[in-house]
Amino acid sequence: MTTTTILILLFVVAIFAWYLSFLATRLDRLHHRVETSWANLDSLLQRRAAIAIEIARSDIADPASSLLLTFAAHQAREASVKDRSQAETGLSGALGILLETSTHIQSAIEQDLLRELADITEKIRVAVSLHVESVNRTQLIRSRWIIRFFRLAGRAPLPVTYEFESDVL
Amino acid sequence: MTFERKRIGIVCPYGWDTPGGVQAHVADLAEYLISQGHHVSVLAPSLSDDNLPAYIVSAGKPIAIPYNGAVARILFGPIAFARVRSWIAEGEFDLLHLHEPAIPSISLLACFAAEGAMVGTFHASAKRQKAIFAIGPILEPIIEKLTARIAVSEAARSTLTEHLETDAVVVPNGIYAKRLGGGKLRQEWSSNTIGFIGRFEEPRKGMAILVDALSSIIETIPDIRILVAGPGNSDAFLESIPEMHRSRFTFLGRISEEEKADFLHSVSLYVAPNTGGESFGIILAEALAGGAAVVASDIPAFDALLGHGKYGTLFESESSHALAQAIVSLLQDDARRDQIRRDGKAYAQDFDWEVVAERIYDVYEMAMVGLGKVVLSSDTRGWSKFLGR
Repeated sequence: MTTTTILILLFVVAIFAWYLSFLATRLDRLHHRVETSWANLDSLLQRRAAIAIEIARSDIADPASSLLLTFAAHQAREASVKDRSQAETGLSGALGILLETSTHIQSAIEQDLLRELADITEKIRVAVSLHVESVNRTQLIRSRWIIRFFRLAGRAPLPVTYEFESDVL
Repeated sequence: MTFERKRIGIVCPYGWDTPGGVQAHVADLAEYLISQGHHVSVLAPSLSDDNLPAYIVSAGKPIAIPYNGAVARILFGPIAFARVRSWIAEGEFDLLHLHEPAIPSISLLACFAAEGAMVGTFHASAKRQKAIFAIGPILEPIIEKLTARIAVSEAARSTLTEHLETDAVVVPNGIYAKRLGGGKLRQEWSSNTIGFIGRFEEPRKGMAILVDALSSIIETIPDIRILVAGPGNSDAFLESIPEMHRSRFTFLGRISEEEKADFLHSVSLYVAPNTGGESFGIILAEALAGGAAVVASDIPAFDALLGHGKYGTLFESESSHALAQAIVSLLQDDARRDQIRRDGKAYAQDFDWEVVAERIYDVYEMAMVGLGKVVLSSDTRGWSKFLGR
């Protein structure tokens, strides 16, 4: 009698332990994804800032918008994590204004630059959506009581969404 | 831009031998990626191994099962699972692209078995269903493994958000807009003709509504003719409609891509009276690319595709009266018809494979960042390494 009870109990504990390890794997995968999606977004944003500076130096921009663009791009590059999204939104805005007012571009180099910018903007849009999704997902899973109770997240910091004003892009 | 040749594995959940939107999409995408120099392998169920394109790997014979209101030819079970696993293990893929991973077929199995860069494309749109909420907890941890999700339309995207609480990037289905745009005018198909392409016998395609509308259309346009292209039993269909209308129908059967371009260019109007069940409406995109003036029911997919009526005329779904009105007013207004033909054709270039496949590949690139080859998830577990398997 008692051996059966002990066996059943062991079985239940084993199943539960397996479930916990399954949850931990799942969470680990999500954390990993948040890291890669952020790294990806970060590198794309850096590249965009670099393109912005090139545009600022080219003939596309008049001196005033060139100044504005260079300033915004440098700010975006040097911003701390806290100010990052604001700085990037500023850069988006500056680029937006420039593109709206410059429809007269003819030379091949300038067109290449603008095409590259359009390319990277499209990629950033995808990258932002992937990052936001992975962060939301991780937050959702981490808010479950079982994860919090058993501290399955370990010491990984709770990811935060990157606040991007996507319509500016 | 630097180019890297990638090994891409695509999984199609439905039987390859039966025609369908997902299969056509997979075939076009695979061929496009191959033409770009990538290595592509498509895993799909199929009835026979003969006559398959070189890039297809058969996963076994599909099983016909009623699922979600239609008969789906899907595949699952231990043998299929073993094949999926060995395909993944041998493929050394950089990325897996799984189509419809939320239906019980090999895409779901692949998603379960693999670990690495995975992109899922969701085609279907469905109303809120209790059953889906019941299976949600089972699907959730599996679907969650997808690195990136694509929905083919806003409708498919909202289905995904409702049912599985995840968001997706919207990338539309692709068409060969340039090929379709080069149609020639054929006299026998022009002047007061209404075109329709599809399986006309299926009730949800809405042919019955067009037949009902016919009586009042004839009053104003006595020489109206209806041209139907697509597979089906035309004799049985003619039997089912009033005798006086029978002579107005011409059935062309299945038509080739070239004929399709001519057809769309020649007909005065293209109608899509579908009553529902469409997620994207690829045929409308094709009709626009072929330069047809489109009249379509206002179901959400068509409404979105036609830019809320900007690139085609919408009528209240399932109302034969509204359909008749829309057809008559458009046939009598040549200037407006030419205008929407031109606008629609220009707009349809957005759905060209060149554009669409680039956007899909952008998502691939994002998904592959920081990840190595796709492996079996069982291989990454500590204890299986420990046991040496």
